[in-house]
Amino acid sequence: MVAAELIVRDLVFGLMLGCVFSVVAHGLNIIWGVVKVVNIAHGEFIMLGAYGAYFLNLFAGLTPLETAPVDAGIGLLVGYAFYYAFLHRELHNKEMITLQSEMVTLVATFGLSLFISNLAIILFTGNPVGIIYNPGILQFGYLTVPLAALYVAILSVLIIAGTWLFLERTFIGSAIRAYAQDVTATELVGADPAKVASLATALGFAVTMAGGALLTVWVPVGINPLMGALYAPISFVIVVLGGPGKMWGSLVGGLTLGIVIDLVQAFASAQIAYAAAFLILIPVLVFRPKGILK
Amino acid sequence: MNLQKPGLTLYGLFIVMAFLATAALLFGVAVSSILVVLLIYAALAYSINFITGMIGYVDFGHVLFMAIGSYALATLVSYYGANPLLGVGAGAALGLVFALGIGLVILRFRGVYFAIATVVLVLAAYNIVLQLPQLGTGGEIIFNLPFQPLAPYFTIWTIVLIEIALTYYVNRSRIGFGIRAIKSEEDAASSVGVSPQRLKLIGYMLGGLFGGAAGGVYSWSTSGVSAGPAFDFTFSLLMLAMIIIGGVGTSTGPLLGAVVVYIPSYFLLTSVAQAQPLIIGLLVIIMALFLPDGIVGLLRRSNDRLRLVLE
Amino acid sequence: MPLLQARNVSKNFGGVQALKDVSLDLPESAVLGLIGPNGSGKSTLLNVIAGLEKPTSGIVKLDRKRIDNLRTNRIVRYGLAKTHQIPKPFSNMTARENVAVAVLYGRRNIHSPTPALEEADRILSMVRMGSRKDAPADSLTVQEKKRLELARAIATGASVLLLDEVFAGLSPEELKDSIQLFKKLHDELRFSVLVVEHVMRAVLSLSQKVMVLEEGRVIATGSPDEIVHDEKVIQAYLGSKNPAA
Repeated sequence: MVAAELIVRDLVFGLMLGCVFSVVAHGLNIIWGVVKVVNIAHGEFIMLGAYGAYFLNLFAGLTPLETAPVDAGIGLLVGYAFYYAFLHRELHNKEMITLQSEMVTLVATFGLSLFISNLAIILFTGNPVGIIYNPGILQFGYLTVPLAALYVAILSVLIIAGTWLFLERTFIGSAIRAYAQDVTATELVGADPAKVASLATALGFAVTMAGGALLTVWVPVGINPLMGALYAPISFVIVVLGGPGKMWGSLVGGLTLGIVIDLVQAFASAQIAYAAAFLILIPVLVFRPKGILK
Repeated sequence: MNLQKPGLTLYGLFIVMAFLATAALLFGVAVSSILVVLLIYAALAYSINFITGMIGYVDFGHVLFMAIGSYALATLVSYYGANPLLGVGAGAALGLVFALGIGLVILRFRGVYFAIATVVLVLAAYNIVLQLPQLGTGGEIIFNLPFQPLAPYFTIWTIVLIEIALTYYVNRSRIGFGIRAIKSEEDAASSVGVSPQRLKLIGYMLGGLFGGAAGGVYSWSTSGVSAGPAFDFTFSLLMLAMIIIGGVGTSTGPLLGAVVVYIPSYFLLTSVAQAQPLIIGLLVIIMALFLPDGIVGLLRRSNDRLRLVLE
Repeated sequence: MPLLQARNVSKNFGGVQALKDVSLDLPESAVLGLIGPNGSGKSTLLNVIAGLEKPTSGIVKLDRKRIDNLRTNRIVRYGLAKTHQIPKPFSNMTARENVAVAVLYGRRNIHSPTPALEEADRILSMVRMGSRKDAPADSLTVQEKKRLELARAIATGASVLLLDEVFAGLSPEELKDSIQLFKKLHDELRFSVLVVEHVMRAVLSLSQKVMVLEEGRVIATGSPDEIVHDEKVIQAYLGSKNPAA
């Protein structure tokens, strides 16, 4: 293949990968943007979503596409639990997250992150597993596009679009958006802040775990208890790139990262590609702290 | 509270250290091989205490400095046959220098952004080390030193002693006031003349210095280093756990935390020991949510006498 | 030579012109009141002078030294301190420790905690908060927190104070108290003050001169009496006949 063709191929794959990255980060974006809390254990819930897809595939023959809604349902419940366990005390009746409580949630979720990942090592063993899902390929001239990657990319974008629609067009959605701007305003809109915040958290977790299921297509042999350690920082970088709270920012950040990783990987090793992807965060924070979307 | 003369806490801590020294001298290898890990943990706890406990900037990536120290010592001893003390010094120096360079860039980020930046740096560093043949491309760098267990023991013992004194001094001095102000309200601190940039950098550099030193001793005591364990975030968890459990920012907290975290794991059966990160994680969650000022905070609140005396 | 000088200060926030060509002079020991309707740029002006914002153009000089390009904590060393509109006490410390931070890091040359705490006690008594010196800062009432802001600013040894709505939200009794306290402090310590206020009674009774801002521009300066009767000022405040009400 000629260089130009390689670049096109890398771009296409980068975009498809980027879509999945986007949905994986989207849950974090929602929670960060609305409840203003950063869940350091985010990666672990991606991992749980991936394992969910694995087990449902193993025992019920479900494809990742079919598992995504199941994982989403589980994520909703987990999200509510997380809210009431960690956030309700800090947020209830407060207008702003104080610096102290920010530190508390950071450290608490850090503890949670290592708790869950080590629990997973004990329960699932450290051996990586994978799902085989190959519905076929699409051939565009020299370009071979696996349908699996295409399907999850499309579904990822649909999920992001779906959440956007929900936030823009439903009453609860606008209550959530109001809460994101000003907690006290939520009451003026006639909604209960605790209900809004817990719903937003639940939504975030639902998207996260669904994302974990879709991610399995890209890690055919790499589902392991520690995968959160890779995808959490990727998610953080994506959200910062796109701007916390900006729903389409997940897509912008995700696509950017997907392309960067894929392109760099073509010229250097995977490690350098990931190192580069992570280090993008620093200049972005220095020069454009609100993300690259205006 | 009289701030000029050292209080009971400092004497108490020195007594504990004296006890640790005598125990090693009297009982030799049997005791020092156990306690050396405790002291390394304590050194790490005191080092993260400067930036996270005192200033309030959560450094998830503090393991970076430990890794720098470990690699510094391992490469110097293994490739150049250097004296391990030199390795520890190099670890400390490199930790300091890296902290300066990194701190100048990332300390301007607040809260979460700083925390994430520290994580990102560790991951980037890990991935880079995996590429470098000079650093073993991530594989093991090992060395064989003649068996003198008391050498690393007293090295780390000295490091912890210095850290205790420094922590104590900082808390009671003018700098301590500035640091506590920054931790509470960074912008208001500026408005009364405190320079947050300078104090944050000092705290971060102290963290880097002692983290690097501790990392060097760690690699000395394990006779080697390799990328996976060196950059393991579990160390960051342990360091955070120790200061949260003990009491963030205090002089006693890190040592208390090290004891709580380390001693049980030594005596428990292996299968339970494997669950150590699990238990620590759970403990951190509980402490962070319900007892954010740790054991020291709890003791100070429960007893007026202790409130005056325990730091 | 006035102690504080601002010349042609403009501040643009990405399209919104918050300050347009504002100049002012603040002589030693003078009290300059700064009033204007909401959004007129009063707080922005204070922030620019105190180093929290950089002016888009223009110069600020303190004692003939340029301070508009300096960080806030440097400006404090040169002798200018600003209080916060919404008090920001150091909640992890007592009132006296709060003030002690200011003593230690201002331009007082007291670098040791014990004398700093003693000085803090003295200043707290001056602002009539001596009885609360050991109270944790977050247990103070709003009025006490405002007093604490003032105490901290004074404790830095500043010769120029910028007071951002220190009289807001007080009951008539508290207001009378605070005005009287201010007069006493000013008589004793002779600092220069730029007072931003909405509470007319306070501004007009304390200021020797008053400056009025509207939409980022100075529309009038003069004695309190002149300002109260100035047509432009009356217009700016909703066209009411008596802004001193």
